[in-house]
Amino acid sequence: MDKRKRTMGKRFQKYLPFVILAVMLIWHSVLYAQQQRFPRPEFEGGYSFPTHQFLNQRGPMWEYMDVAVLIGALLVTAWMVLIKRSRQGLIWVSVFSLAYFGFYRQGCICAIGSVQNVSMALFNGNYAIPLSALLFFTIPLLFALFFGRVFCAGVCPLGAIQELTGFRQVRMPKSIERLLGMIPFVYLGLAVLFASTESQFLICRYDPFVGIFRIDAPYTMVIFGSLLLLVGIFVNRPYCRYLCPYGVLQNIFSRFSVKHVTISPAECRKCRLCESGCPYDAILQSDPEPYVEVPKKSLKNSLIYFLMIPLLASGFAVILYNLAPSLSVVNNNVKLAREIRLEREKGIKAVSKAAIAFFESGKTEDELYKEELQIIGRFKKGAPWVGIFFGLSLGIGFFRLTVRNFRTEYVPDRGRCYSCAKCFKFCPVKVKT
Amino acid sequence: MESKNKSRASRRDFVKTAGKIIAAVPVLSLPIVLTKKTDVKGYVWQIDPYKCTSCELCTTSCVMTPSAVKCTNAFPMCGYCDFCPGFLCQGAKIYSTAAEDQLCPTGAIIRNFVEEPYFEYTINESLCNGCSKCVKGCRDFGNGSLYLQIMHNLCVNCNQCRIARMCPSDAVIRVPAEEPYIRKELKQSTSPVIGKALVKPVPSRGYLLRHGKGKQLT
Amino acid sequence: MNFSEKQISIFKGISLVSGLFTLIIALTMILSLVQLKTIDPLANPSLQSIKEQFDRDPDNKDKAEQVRAIDLMARKAYFTSRWQVETGSYLLLAGAVVFVFFQRLIAGSEKPARSLQPDKPDINLERKRNQRYLIIAASIVTIMAVTSSFVLRSNLPAPGKSPAAVTENKSSEMPDAITEFYKPGDVNYPFFRGEGSRGMAGGTGYPTEWNGTDGKNIKWKIAVPKPGKNSPVIWGDKLFFTGAVNADCEIYCINKKTGETIWTGSASGFPGASSEAPESDAEAGMAVPTAAASKNEVCAVFGNGNLVCFDHDGKLKWGKNLGVPHGTYGYSASLVIYDKLLLVQYDSQDKITLSGYELGTGELKWETIRSGRPVNSSPLLANFDGQPQLLINGNPNVSAFDPVSGKELWSLPGVSGDVAPSLAVNSKMVFAAQDYFNVIALKPGKAGATVWQDNTFTPDASSPVANDKFLFIATGSGDVACYDSEKGDTLWSHYFEEPFYPSPIIADDHVYLLDRAGVMHIVKAAGEFQLVAESPIGERTDCTPAFSEKAIFIRTNENLYCISNN
Repeated sequence: MDKRKRTMGKRFQKYLPFVILAVMLIWHSVLYAQQQRFPRPEFEGGYSFPTHQFLNQRGPMWEYMDVAVLIGALLVTAWMVLIKRSRQGLIWVSVFSLAYFGFYRQGCICAIGSVQNVSMALFNGNYAIPLSALLFFTIPLLFALFFGRVFCAGVCPLGAIQELTGFRQVRMPKSIERLLGMIPFVYLGLAVLFASTESQFLICRYDPFVGIFRIDAPYTMVIFGSLLLLVGIFVNRPYCRYLCPYGVLQNIFSRFSVKHVTISPAECRKCRLCESGCPYDAILQSDPEPYVEVPKKSLKNSLIYFLMIPLLASGFAVILYNLAPSLSVVNNNVKLAREIRLEREKGIKAVSKAAIAFFESGKTEDELYKEELQIIGRFKKGAPWVGIFFGLSLGIGFFRLTVRNFRTEYVPDRGRCYSCAKCFKFCPVKVKT
Repeated sequence: MESKNKSRASRRDFVKTAGKIIAAVPVLSLPIVLTKKTDVKGYVWQIDPYKCTSCELCTTSCVMTPSAVKCTNAFPMCGYCDFCPGFLCQGAKIYSTAAEDQLCPTGAIIRNFVEEPYFEYTINESLCNGCSKCVKGCRDFGNGSLYLQIMHNLCVNCNQCRIARMCPSDAVIRVPAEEPYIRKELKQSTSPVIGKALVKPVPSRGYLLRHGKGKQLT
Repeated sequence: MNFSEKQISIFKGISLVSGLFTLIIALTMILSLVQLKTIDPLANPSLQSIKEQFDRDPDNKDKAEQVRAIDLMARKAYFTSRWQVETGSYLLLAGAVVFVFFQRLIAGSEKPARSLQPDKPDINLERKRNQRYLIIAASIVTIMAVTSSFVLRSNLPAPGKSPAAVTENKSSEMPDAITEFYKPGDVNYPFFRGEGSRGMAGGTGYPTEWNGTDGKNIKWKIAVPKPGKNSPVIWGDKLFFTGAVNADCEIYCINKKTGETIWTGSASGFPGASSEAPESDAEAGMAVPTAAASKNEVCAVFGNGNLVCFDHDGKLKWGKNLGVPHGTYGYSASLVIYDKLLLVQYDSQDKITLSGYELGTGELKWETIRSGRPVNSSPLLANFDGQPQLLINGNPNVSAFDPVSGKELWSLPGVSGDVAPSLAVNSKMVFAAQDYFNVIALKPGKAGATVWQDNTFTPDASSPVANDKFLFIATGSGDVACYDSEKGDTLWSHYFEEPFYPSPIIADDHVYLLDRAGVMHIVKAAGEFQLVAESPIGERTDCTPAFSEKAIFIRTNENLYCISNN
């Protein structure tokens, strides 16, 4: 029986009725046979197997070029804002950053997303963070430590796109500002939690502008981004103020900055003109002279505030610990395990593609449940720390409201000022060179 | 009063400088802490063809349109069959390029006659949308030489690949940027059916760290 | 930068136009994207329906033309929509950039407004307000912490328990010694491949030479009333087999000594059964699974899902429909009975289970959901570590279940693909095989592992058979091979011309290999090839023979033969 003489097709056709008679059920095989079904053909005409040329993206070393551009842009922004004091110059740097980091590099990798990479690297044994991601995380923070939030001012493409489309300035009442300003802390805590348990990159998933940068996105993302920009025309920098998780870190580091942008190039005349110019209400007022002694009663109050911090921290830790199993559902494995268990216990069929793939893989349910418990365990370990972070942030925030240094001039709130230089044109003090 | 202010001011300065140093410490120490876990060359995303179950989610999961996932044929593994189960539907009566018998919805597979009875099948990538119907057919009834890969001239290398997140069999993994493709003809089957008793090298921690495998080692 | 009034109004006009332009493009794109989401051009309903019509009538040239035309339109629509989205996005971006640029020019030239400052806040008032907020926040947090500890009680799963119901019937019919378990009796041949369905027949003195055409050693021959691919089963003096034509299913009881039909039972018309046959092919038919016999009952299952139980006198004890098993090539798993439980291996596209039915009443005692994909193999009974087990050659695992409770005992990686051959077992090992894969020898149990595997000779539809020394495989291309069961060395192989679909049976230290042409090749069950005889039955056969009390029963496509020396 010389089967090779017949064509493969005829062979298959011959087998087809036999297969039917033999009641074989042909199903998908997930696992491949080492032995192939149809042997390798022997060509007589001198045909040689072509090799598929796979195309490559830009070489991995180009990532470091991006780091170099990052450093350069940060230096130029710092110079523009601190030394040259030119808002126009800052606008041009923003346009460049938007073009380079935004449209050219398509918004990935960005410093905001690098938070997730760092958390995954810190809390996960198997992930090695790319050096460029680590640099994207640390370099803007170092600059914040020295020069204030220059990254936010002119380098971050998300900040740049908001800065360039902020035509009007509508001020938000302080209470709403404070309330919405808590969202970035929550976002940061959850993003770190989800990234370190390898469940999801929350920041990347809900990045509103990356769809615009790629000029290619599901329409929901584009609508979200455009709506945010439309809102941003009036309420400037909405993402920066109310959503950006990296901004929390920039905020903290900028408070300790060595040099920071000042409103007036020389001394402050306390004319209050700059206050109306800052759309973010980030200018702190000076206190009336003479200096008022802090009464003993408010010292005691301050102590109470101070003691509230650990109370809030532990309270949030408990809440988050209890929420951990519900939060863990974002993890694909936990979601699958729940679905399978639901089918076993209540008979609701598991029809998701993940369930079908799971059944076909031959992995046992015990293994799946063990994995699920492991992941939930990690959530339970990490969530209290996130809670402590929330509590500390809230507590310290309140504490800072009560304890305040005596100010003799109008200064920007180092934490919240984006160094956007909008206030410069309002200040009547012009330094004469 | 003046001296009180002055001392308060100098205390404030001290606190400020102390705060600067305390803040600087974690930022500067982060690279040191993470030196062992830093990869200089970088990663890209790729589909492991042995884990793929042809669920057809690659077309819609990629953030790019069209999807960066394309099918490719591992020629050394291909059977060059007249009745290619990845090209033709099951039950096709005529073995030709007729549209009614083709599996591919966009007509991306090109069938060329080589010599009797062999036909060469190549993929026109500009037409392929990564739906994996041909991959399933080839795997179920043929040699499994058609497989999906993420094409890196199209992929934007997201921080977390959306296809990786949606893949029901966790087939999308990080691979070193220097070897961005997993050529099926060069890769041994990762079939676990090749028993637990047989000696299968467990990847070392070092290997996993270098290759950025995201799964937890149990 | 300062611009004149006129320039500013020009800028305003341009930005208005570009803004409107952007808005219009955005709206049209949203509309088209929403439309794309609802109907994927490549999978639109008209294309699906015309394809279905073509599939049902593949020779129709008109339909083929129609499919081609609609398919081309679908492809064009798909690529046009992609192009539209791309161009639309660029236009959108261009419009937006122009708008932003001119707005920036306008904004840049505006003079700073001197708005009224809010009043200087009173520090003390602020402090008091903040204090209040803090206390409120702290109390909310404390209350939430306390309530969440009680309300959000951990809803974690209990560590790994498969929730199958456990019934505590302990077997009373189980032989104690394992060797007793594996040594079959010579009278009853109750399942597909004998006792335990393991492919071993008890007793000695089986004939080796016969001829179906001239009647040599043919004791009796009867015509099969309705066709089927199942093998005869025997209990005592009664022989049972089934046949079916579409939904008309029957079970027959024959006197094994005379060939006389004792009774015919109808297994049609149960609630849930459809009057039409499921869409499997017509060739294999609805009567593929072999019946199972016990002391008082005989049970059968058919391809439309009908499951029946008769007593030995022909009275229907119970019957039900399990739901039509959907599969490309039909339902084929034979039945097994263990100690008052009828064990049904059910494989369908949407459900893969092993169920235990009470033999007397038909009540479903337990149902275990199996993992993996549907298969066409049949289950068998084995005994390892003193525990009776029901083994199934699944895809991709070989699994063992407790035949009393249905709980899965262990599961090891086996074969995959079109799994048709059933397992072979001896007292120590389990062998799984599949044609496009290989033969795998497993040490069974939770700590089990693959001992050896080989892919030289793999069976197509016939199930391999093993004793403690050898494993015998009959392939679909006519080869028969003998492997050393412990080490996996190929001891001998021989090419017989016709393919083997009936499974080989070891009886009386001989291996009886029946090929599809109806010729029984009898070789010694030994490490060297020794052909003892080759006896033709004269007709095409696909069914495994049955052995009982020195007689062999062969079912061909048309007839049932009894072969005996006396």
